[in-house]
Amino acid sequence: MVIRVVLADDHPLTREGFKSYLEGRENIKLVGEASDGESAWELIKEQIPDVALIDIRMPGIDGVTLVRRIRQEGLQVACLMLTSYDAQQYVLASLRAGAKGYILKTASPDELLRAIEIVASQGVYLDKEVAKAVEEPGFSPEGLSPREREVLLLAGRGESSKEIASKLYISERTVQTHLASIYDKLGARNKTEALLLALKYGVVTLEELLE
Amino acid sequence: MILTLLVLIPSIAILIVTGWGVVEHEKAMKNVTESYVLDLAQSVALRVDRPRFIHRAQMMSPRSIDSFVLDISMPGWVALVDEDGNLLAASSRARDVLPQIWQVGVPVGKATLLKGPMGDTYTIAAIPTSQGWYVIAAVAWSQLLGPMVRFSHLWPAAVGLLAIVGLCAVWAFWRWLIMPLLSLEAEVSSLKWGRDLPEPDDPLAVWELRRLRKVLYQLAETAKEREELTQRYVSDLVQVQEEERTKLAREIHDGPLQDVTALLQRILLLKQESWSEKAKKYIEIAEESATAAVRELRGLCDTLSPPWLDLGLLQALTELTERLARIYGIKIYLEANEIPDVNEDITLAFFRIVQEAINNAVKHGSAKSIWVRLACENGYLVLQIEDDGSGFDFEGDVEALRIKGHRGIANMAERMRMIKGQIDIKSSSSNSGTVITCKVLLPLSGEKSPRNAFDVGDVSKS
Repeated sequence: MVIRVVLADDHPLTREGFKSYLEGRENIKLVGEASDGESAWELIKEQIPDVALIDIRMPGIDGVTLVRRIRQEGLQVACLMLTSYDAQQYVLASLRAGAKGYILKTASPDELLRAIEIVASQGVYLDKEVAKAVEEPGFSPEGLSPREREVLLLAGRGESSKEIASKLYISERTVQTHLASIYDKLGARNKTEALLLALKYGVVTLEELLE
Repeated sequence: MILTLLVLIPSIAILIVTGWGVVEHEKAMKNVTESYVLDLAQSVALRVDRPRFIHRAQMMSPRSIDSFVLDISMPGWVALVDEDGNLLAASSRARDVLPQIWQVGVPVGKATLLKGPMGDTYTIAAIPTSQGWYVIAAVAWSQLLGPMVRFSHLWPAAVGLLAIVGLCAVWAFWRWLIMPLLSLEAEVSSLKWGRDLPEPDDPLAVWELRRLRKVLYQLAETAKEREELTQRYVSDLVQVQEEERTKLAREIHDGPLQDVTALLQRILLLKQESWSEKAKKYIEIAEESATAAVRELRGLCDTLSPPWLDLGLLQALTELTERLARIYGIKIYLEANEIPDVNEDITLAFFRIVQEAINNAVKHGSAKSIWVRLACENGYLVLQIEDDGSGFDFEGDVEALRIKGHRGIANMAERMRMIKGQIDIKSSSSNSGTVITCKVLLPLSGEKSPRNAFDVGDVSKS
């Protein structure tokens, strides 16, 4: 089965580069390219590709807004963010908007292909640069308790410890304890990292994170 | 004050001295008239008592007695009455005058003061003679002391007038000179030079004072204008710096960063071909250099003006605190409760303040833990940054710190001033850390400026 791909990036040279990455792969077909948000939206609507490679910063409609629109219109397109930035908040914002993956523009051709394949098959791909944390070889996360999962998800939606405490009818101190335990189990240093790692290890799903 | 007293004291002194003088004068005049009247009466009584007179009186008509005994060339009236009060003889005109002022009960042998029907003052005295008659002598003050009486009436009036004029002068002095001067002094001494203005005019002050006030007002105005100019200059500096940073970051992102990324892509493509060992090594070095360049350029963008600021205040602060905690190896706790969307100006100001505060806490205070709190309170967005560092001596004067070269705090204050917010810094060099609190009024809902978070501008570019 051939994966149909659309590429949206405003920089011609990097766009050419990605085109070269995809050339000659029998399982991938580039069906269109766009250099700004608006034409990317038109193209995606027309083509309904399997995977859309979208730059976060684009003139016109930005990448996150575009992803949100695709999800709201119910288009069956897996969005893979393709950006220059390693900011974890960008990753979270994209995932909350409905993106299936996040890859840096500096990734190798093989990594890009792997990412495309993963998101095309309904998986989640996060660039190793943005979710590496203290990942040691052979590290496998301990399972989270149901309460910890709840706490992590609420934290992932941007809620403060106080808000989580009032929603779960527990004390703020207990929330802090849960968070500390979550960080420890996932090897994360903060909420964002914990969430990204939880996604990566499949502890939580993308759907649970959606806005 | 002293000047007023200098005028007031002589005025009152004149009034007292004059009053005393008038009373003494009145007393003196009374004594003079009394002795005069007594003398007059006694001299007549003496004449009446002479045996010659007694003898003659028995045969003379009363008229001739009049001219004999009582024709006096001195002012006053003299009359002779018997014990029953019947008028025996009188000097010329005394017959007309005396009955008018004569009252029964005038003490004998003593001068008495009487008021005539016309309001004139008279002194009257009765002296008994050996025949059992009485000699009555009277004189009108105006007749005897004419000008002196008038003077004694005019004098207090004149002095009273003088005193009133003096008091009026004092009052005027106080009202138009001292009071305006005092209020001007109070105003000027409490004036924050460069910020406040005195009242431009005081219609109650004398012309010279009004001039002085006007000049002071103009001076204060100039100082204020200059202060505003300086403030604007500082604001412009901060703003221009921010604009330049944003522009530069954008240019790096859209230019070199993309170019080097494109270069790296070609290197990665090259890598897939088969090469000699030597070429492979070169390609590897090129890849490493390009990757390092991308990282550096990205770091440069983040330092100048991170693009993820566009994500909004909470996300930007989350990213910032997580990054700084990683870089410095410290604990940073970000606590935020239901923060509404705020505009770019507030986001940028708070972002820069948190950045500056954390850098200061770590570099100068060696802080190990920092708490960043963001909350909505009564329509205000409140940001608080607390650290456990060593703190510093802060007396509340941001400008003094700026002059000493510590621009960080001054810049924070400037950022808050630009978004019309308040900043409060509490710190002391007693190892109790620093607490910085910033407060800004949230724009009313609906006033939120629409923005496109990730828009890099120019749509026509495509």
